[in-house]
Amino acid sequence: MRAKTLLAAATAAMLLIGGCGGPQGQEGSPNGPTQGEKGRITICLLPKQKGIPYFTSCAEGAQEAAKELDVELIYDGPTDGSPEKAAAMVEKWALQGVDAICVSPNDPNVLAPAMKAARQKGVKVITWDADAPSDAREVFVNQATAEQIGTALVDTLVKDMGGKDVKGEVAIITATATAANQNEWIVHIKERLKAYPNLRLGSVVPSNEDQKLAFQAAQDLIKASPDLKGILAISSTAFPGAAEGIKQAGKAGQVQVTGLSTPNDMRAYVKDGTVKSVILWNTKDLGYLTVQVAAQLVRGTFKGTDPTVKAGRLGEKRVEGDNVLLGDILVFTKDNIDQFQF
Amino acid sequence: MRRLIATHEAGLAALLAALLVAAWRTDPAFVSWRVQSGLLPQIGETALLAVPMTLIVITGGIDLSVGSVMALASVLFGLGFRSGWPVEACAAAALAAGLLCGALNGWFVTRFRVHPLIVTLGTMSAFRGLAEGVSAARPVSGFPDTFLRIGQGWTAVGLFAALTLAGTAVLARHVLGRRIYGIGLGESAARASGWNVDRLKASLYAFSGLMAGVAGVLFTARRNTAKADVGAGIELEVVTAVVLGGTSIFGGRGTLVGTALGLAVLHEVRQFVGWRWSNDVLNLVVVGALLIGAVTLNGVISRRPAGSVEGG
Repeated sequence: MRAKTLLAAATAAMLLIGGCGGPQGQEGSPNGPTQGEKGRITICLLPKQKGIPYFTSCAEGAQEAAKELDVELIYDGPTDGSPEKAAAMVEKWALQGVDAICVSPNDPNVLAPAMKAARQKGVKVITWDADAPSDAREVFVNQATAEQIGTALVDTLVKDMGGKDVKGEVAIITATATAANQNEWIVHIKERLKAYPNLRLGSVVPSNEDQKLAFQAAQDLIKASPDLKGILAISSTAFPGAAEGIKQAGKAGQVQVTGLSTPNDMRAYVKDGTVKSVILWNTKDLGYLTVQVAAQLVRGTFKGTDPTVKAGRLGEKRVEGDNVLLGDILVFTKDNIDQFQF
Repeated sequence: MRRLIATHEAGLAALLAALLVAAWRTDPAFVSWRVQSGLLPQIGETALLAVPMTLIVITGGIDLSVGSVMALASVLFGLGFRSGWPVEACAAAALAAGLLCGALNGWFVTRFRVHPLIVTLGTMSAFRGLAEGVSAARPVSGFPDTFLRIGQGWTAVGLFAALTLAGTAVLARHVLGRRIYGIGLGESAARASGWNVDRLKASLYAFSGLMAGVAGVLFTARRNTAKADVGAGIELEVVTAVVLGGTSIFGGRGTLVGTALGLAVLHEVRQFVGWRWSNDVLNLVVVGALLIGAVTLNGVISRRPAGSVEGG
């Protein structure tokens, strides 16, 4: 009896609150339909992992573009890098009716169904930093092609070793044997090495995204081959590991290492001379370009099939197939590394 | 006793209604059918696990290994798929593994009379370790669209609804229901009256394992990934929903309708927090706060009717 009374009271209360109150607008809510070419639009930017320096600096550039283009930018992602949580966020944003979602998928297989569902709801979905299957997104904002990266790695290493006359062996420490990005780069590294007949490619060793394994791999490589002159450490964990390995083996200056990583991870090795060059792209520009592309897709000033896109302060950027190319490789040395804090 | 439970359920229903009204007043889109139906699948696996968990907690036990069993089932599904098995065979293997894990829990609990908290705390790490070892920490993806579609829809929620209806009928009218409450109210008394307490308890743990297997397969379909960290921490959510739903952690009291309401409150609070702010940061805090709130509320309520325990 009492239970029924309570239930009735609850229902009545609910109706009462509902009846006189009513919805009170939606301040701060990311809802809002597309309002033609000039209206404010909402764009979501999803990193692989929120809170790590690389993506935080991408987000700074994204915010800059958002201000210029009258875009409400939502930058959010899983702090533990979980692709399932990332997929749940994409689902939420699609239900909220945002205008565009830019995804850097940590696992494209997990993200793809949520991205496809969002596209079916009319949301513009693009990838940036890392790609997903092409039917899950409109375009991919590609920071650098595999050819650019492979060529830059080899050319920089040769320069650091003292020029093309140096004879000897070069080894590669990669992320994992199955990493698609890295394997593609290795193909172009091999291609570029043909331009330097004095150099010979030795082993290609995986480090399983583990800095300690990369450290061990570098030391093993040094022991195994007295002719070793250079190492390409082509992931952001392999590079500092390999640098530490060379340093502790007392081979700094005799064995050169270069690779892809962030300035913060490599600063100490660049300062003490173990590493001469660190290769990456301008992360702020990557975030900036991503928001530019997404906003222009929403407003119709850029179609995915156009050959170029006008990207604000970056000027015209080339579009190859369905890839928008950021284009410029950035090399950090002891002269400029302190200008980059990420 | 009945009235006590009904009071709790009415209170929960009122809380849920108040939550939804508050949500509607700040952001009406959240309460719309379109959004609610889109978000519903996200509670699916938790809901499925909450049915056996309710029954087990009513007997005075607990099953903390459900998330790990989910992972093991998911990993086995993925391994089968990678070796070219048809999806049906993969699913059968995953469910069988779940059932086996549950049966093992039940065997330990009844054969050695170890407290279920300890048994399932142990198997929670053992099954998780097994899943990690078997999968070599490598996820499997690329399942056919027909299979993925099972996970996108309401399969888990539908199954949960059916189980809740059937389970409510059994708990209220069937002799099995009386025995489940009886075990929770006093296991030695239940044994003294000649019931096969061990067999019933072991069956409940096996049922829980089977449902964890189903949840593992459905999660794999929903997220297109079979891997060893599936279901990590889900036991916390499940227990929270069950206790929030009015089931006493000491056994002897609880209903599946209460659990359904507990799930609804948990789901709506969490989704609304995610909707307005961020999915990730506040989530664990919210679940933890709800659990503490629920246990406190439970304690307050069960202290009130001194001497009226034997209600059933």
